[in-house]
Amino acid sequence: MRTALTRRSIIFCLAAAAAVAGCGGDGRTPLVVYSPHGRDLLTVVEQAYEQTRPDVDVRWLDMGSQEVYDRIRSERANPQADVWFGGPATILARGAAEGLLAPSEPSWAAALDPADRHPEGLYYTLYQTPTIIVYNRDAISEEEAPADWDDLLDERWHDEVVIRDPLASGTMRTIFGKVLSDSVVETGGTEAGFDWLRRLDGQTREYVHSPAVLHEKLTRQEGVLTLWEMTDTLSLIDRGAPIAYRFPASGTAVIQDSVGVVAGSGSHDEAEAFLDWLGSPEALGLAVREAFRLPARGDLDAEVLAPWVADVQSRLRRAEVDWQMIEENGAAWMAEWDRAVRGQGGG
Amino acid sequence: MSAAGAGRGAPQLRSLMPWLVLAFLVWLVGYPLLVVAAEAFGIGSPGGGGPTTEAFRSFFTRPDEWNAMWRTLWISVLSTLAAAAIGVPLGFLFERNEIPGRRLLGALVALPVALPPLVGVIAFLFLYGESGLAARGLQSLGLDVSWRLTGAWAILLVHAYSMYVYFYLFTRAGLSGQDGAAIEAAQSLGASRSQILFRVTLPRLRPALAGATLLTFMTSLGSFSAPYIFGGGFRVMTTQIVASKLNGELRMAYVETTMLALLAFASLLLLRKIDPGLDLASGARGTPPARRRLHSRGARIGAAAGGWVLAGVLLLPHATLILMSLVPPNTWTVEAFPPVLGLVNYGDLLSSTERLRPALNSIWMAAAATLAAVVVGVMAARLSLRRGGLPGRALEAMMTLPWAIPGTVFALALAAAMSVNAPWVGRFVLVGTLWILPLAYLVRSLPLTGRSIFAGLRQLDPRLEEAAASLGAGSLRTVLQIVLPLLRPAVIAGAGLAFITMLGDFVTSIVLYTYDTRPISIEIQSSLRIQETGIAAAYGVLLMVLSAAAFIAWDDRAGGRL
Amino acid sequence: MTASGVSVRFDDVSKAFDDTVVLAGVSLTVEPGEIFALLGPSGSGKTTMLRLLAGFEQLDRGRLLIADEAVEHLPPARRGVGMLFQSYALFPHLSVAENVAFGLKVRSGTQGETEARVAEMLELVRLSGFEQRRIAELSGGQQQRVALARALAPRPRVLLLDEPLSNLDPALREETRADLRRTVKQTGITTVLVTHEQEEAFELGERIGLLNEGGLEQVGGPAELYRDPASRFVATFVGRCSVLAGVVKERHGGDELTVHLASQPEAPPWRCRGSGELAVDDRVDVCVRPEAVRLETGGGPGLPGEIEAERFTGSNSFYTVRLAAGPTVEVAMPGTAAGLSGACVVRQLAGELPSTFAAAAESGP
Repeated sequence: MRTALTRRSIIFCLAAAAAVAGCGGDGRTPLVVYSPHGRDLLTVVEQAYEQTRPDVDVRWLDMGSQEVYDRIRSERANPQADVWFGGPATILARGAAEGLLAPSEPSWAAALDPADRHPEGLYYTLYQTPTIIVYNRDAISEEEAPADWDDLLDERWHDEVVIRDPLASGTMRTIFGKVLSDSVVETGGTEAGFDWLRRLDGQTREYVHSPAVLHEKLTRQEGVLTLWEMTDTLSLIDRGAPIAYRFPASGTAVIQDSVGVVAGSGSHDEAEAFLDWLGSPEALGLAVREAFRLPARGDLDAEVLAPWVADVQSRLRRAEVDWQMIEENGAAWMAEWDRAVRGQGGG
Repeated sequence: MSAAGAGRGAPQLRSLMPWLVLAFLVWLVGYPLLVVAAEAFGIGSPGGGGPTTEAFRSFFTRPDEWNAMWRTLWISVLSTLAAAAIGVPLGFLFERNEIPGRRLLGALVALPVALPPLVGVIAFLFLYGESGLAARGLQSLGLDVSWRLTGAWAILLVHAYSMYVYFYLFTRAGLSGQDGAAIEAAQSLGASRSQILFRVTLPRLRPALAGATLLTFMTSLGSFSAPYIFGGGFRVMTTQIVASKLNGELRMAYVETTMLALLAFASLLLLRKIDPGLDLASGARGTPPARRRLHSRGARIGAAAGGWVLAGVLLLPHATLILMSLVPPNTWTVEAFPPVLGLVNYGDLLSSTERLRPALNSIWMAAAATLAAVVVGVMAARLSLRRGGLPGRALEAMMTLPWAIPGTVFALALAAAMSVNAPWVGRFVLVGTLWILPLAYLVRSLPLTGRSIFAGLRQLDPRLEEAAASLGAGSLRTVLQIVLPLLRPAVIAGAGLAFITMLGDFVTSIVLYTYDTRPISIEIQSSLRIQETGIAAAYGVLLMVLSAAAFIAWDDRAGGRL
Repeated sequence: MTASGVSVRFDDVSKAFDDTVVLAGVSLTVEPGEIFALLGPSGSGKTTMLRLLAGFEQLDRGRLLIADEAVEHLPPARRGVGMLFQSYALFPHLSVAENVAFGLKVRSGTQGETEARVAEMLELVRLSGFEQRRIAELSGGQQQRVALARALAPRPRVLLLDEPLSNLDPALREETRADLRRTVKQTGITTVLVTHEQEEAFELGERIGLLNEGGLEQVGGPAELYRDPASRFVATFVGRCSVLAGVVKERHGGDELTVHLASQPEAPPWRCRGSGELAVDDRVDVCVRPEAVRLETGGGPGLPGEIEAERFTGSNSFYTVRLAAGPTVEVAMPGTAAGLSGACVVRQLAGELPSTFAAAAESGP
């Protein structure tokens, strides 16, 4: 009886293992997608693509955009991902420089601004993600809300800012990167930029680990302000979250949310086909309507996509950003920020 | 497999076996650490120049790195003290006093051990976080309180909560093994109760307490989930490593990994030096003294009530987790208590195979790793104890070594070593494959199964195996029919612990998982990332239930005999 | 059910553990069907010989033959050797019947054959009806018999007994010893027994090999070892004896000598036995067995001394006599002649010739 139990449990374990090892082989071609886009968009994309291509099984892993880079780099010797779907172009540029991406040629590449294309076709900008100031509209009225980045440093917002931990977040890296690159452009050094960030750190109540917590805190007024991006914010507002946003008056960095095919992918052609589909009007329409993505290609009629696209495009003020500089210095800047700024601005 | 076939050439194979198993263990356990250390110096890393100490130099010149080292150390010391302060008195309370409901309460108090680190952390977040149940409850009572669950205090709180169990269980085991005669002797010599406590009971509890100290200290040293979720800017070495890696500073991550490994080894050696007799096995058994009965009715009721309140407090995180798992998405905003409860999250979880897959992954990987760890443990223990010699001692050392290695360190080391295809130096591309995570689990299981199997085999008369051999049984039959059945309690104890630990593993998984092997903990983390707190909680409950089931089965069959 | 036994041979076998030599070139032949006892103090290498034979240790040099077939390279499972362990090593998780059947199941007989053999064996050791008992429920003597049944069940060619009685109460030993001898003899199997107790070796063993420091001192029947020890070690280890220093006075025919006990040249010389190598005037050690001497309190010829202690065992009284020259000698007096004390003389009993050996270096004057 006693040995029988042990035996049974061992058999169960082995059977479970066999079952797991056996499943997943349903004959479809697996297409592994690493993406920071979140379950909403990814589910929509998966379902829609699998409908047009029933022979493909889209498998996505959702993680921070910096984590996508880290993971693809870690797996360089044995790439698991086929598509790098999303993340600021700066991060993909770093991946491209390290040979993590393979060239592709989606049909919609021609419709892009040359700045949105990697010269060798390693990645393309698919969506545009403006960085914005987000606030709790129950706590702050529209008039009171900071109108520009510098307003965040106002004394009244002391201890009211929550920020997504910038190390893992491409969005925050872009926002901070812009502050620093502006500093270099204007003053010749990062000193002023870090100083600004140190003051922001002084305003900051907490760095949180995920966008989820960020939104939760904002909703519950544990911190009423944040620096974030538009897409996420729009979808939260759509779900009834008590928040609102502002495009900073002095202009804002628009993240070039990009896609590329992972070098060494086992199914390069399938990955390229997927990329091609992602930029199709049909797929972009889905992304616009279901997940508030702002398409990068300029040849589509904004009104046709969704009314909000035209609205946003009319209000948005793009700032000049030295992407090259952010790309080259981003890692060092963030390391420096992590050790010299984080938690040092209080007082 | 006829006896004749097994016999030929056996002498050579028999003498080679210990070396083969040893080589496998060195390759699996020690080698990755060496590779990481070498790569920290720039040796052997792909495409990176000659050896350099540059990364080490910048490590030693950066105050933030030193801070992380220092914080790791003092957090571990304080965690150990806090855990002892809670666990030891509880152990005395439940082992030495006859309280109504003692057995049930005593078991409930041990339940935090069934909460995997990440799950415990998120339960704490939901309960004691800034907008957790506790804060909301107090605020709804009109109290204007608010606090933040971040930084050192949050980490300490979680550590104390999850690790006091070690002290509690060890104290109880130590006390129940103590001979009551010694206390009676002291009483007859006129010793007072406090004299007995400090001069008789506690000194004899020393091995148990030392064991718990070692376990707690080493666990906090490698703790990742709590600093990862609550730490924010408060970095300990484990989170520092992950941050460096995430930021693309691989070389620095390797240096930090090396330094943390050194810190762990140094701590282990130091703790062993302080108490050379340090071992997790408690002393010889006698008949423990009779439990003290509380005479007045009031005292009994008071004690029972106190005990239940305590159990209630200790079980609050579990309850919170269950509650959170019942909150449908986007229904709970500013209310003190969730306005809607339902099983939506569970339905969601069970309805799609994609959602269930991480649970299956965790189960099969933990089971496979545990099974393999038992096999390796039995092989190593037999070779080590029955053959002895240098390979024997080395085998035992290799089995216990992973215990001193924080999970983050080992995960990174394995990823570094097994991302290069160089078979002639023992490096294969395992990164991104189905195998690397179960392999890492295996290594982390080895000390857990090894410890109890070695202890069990030490008590087993070697003549039994010789008897089986002289009766014509081959090695395999001897193991299956004689050794394993007799080691059953030891195997179950070790395997149960390993299975529970691996089921909830987060720190190794986050570095090594792939799409096909993503475990529950990773799914919890990614659910949290995309705001599905309900789903995260539901996964947490699933993990908690699986662990508790394994723990109860384990306790039932092995606990009494430990 | 007597099986024709096989021979067992140790051929110049050596074995060392690390740097300690345990066996140094031992050669020994055990005849088919014989019960052979290896006797010796602890550390003499007797258990190692047994374990080498069983295959639990590997020899360093030499050969081991069972039925004239070299077995030193065979694993224990293939040597056809049954072993009764000192601790019995019964499998505590199996019942009595399962223990006995263990060696049979390995050999994949039919279920019926196995059951029949188990029943036969349990009957042999008089434990029929105990089949389903757990080991822990048995007495020490019963456990020993189960172990014996288990060892014999697979019909081994050779049976090895490692201190088979040492775990039993002294009261039980005598009875069990006879029992063991009867059972083993009944099977006719060649048996090698290890013991450090002379009595056990004498009663169980048909021949005895006496081991000392890794070498065989003497091989022979019990009487031969007792009456004609080949060395001083044999003489002192087998039975009781007092060692007295002496000098050879005269050689006679055969191996008889006249020895002057050196310390008392005035006392009459003793008639002793010693090897032909001993010459006149050689210093010798004379091993005096208690029953080979008598003491007389009334004076007369003999070695003068003083009675120091008396020990009464029932059938004999043993007196420790301090000789005038210093050494003590033990004397057995038959019957219940208790109460002797004071001065006495010790004299040789006619017809009892004490064994004599060249004096060990350290016992010189």
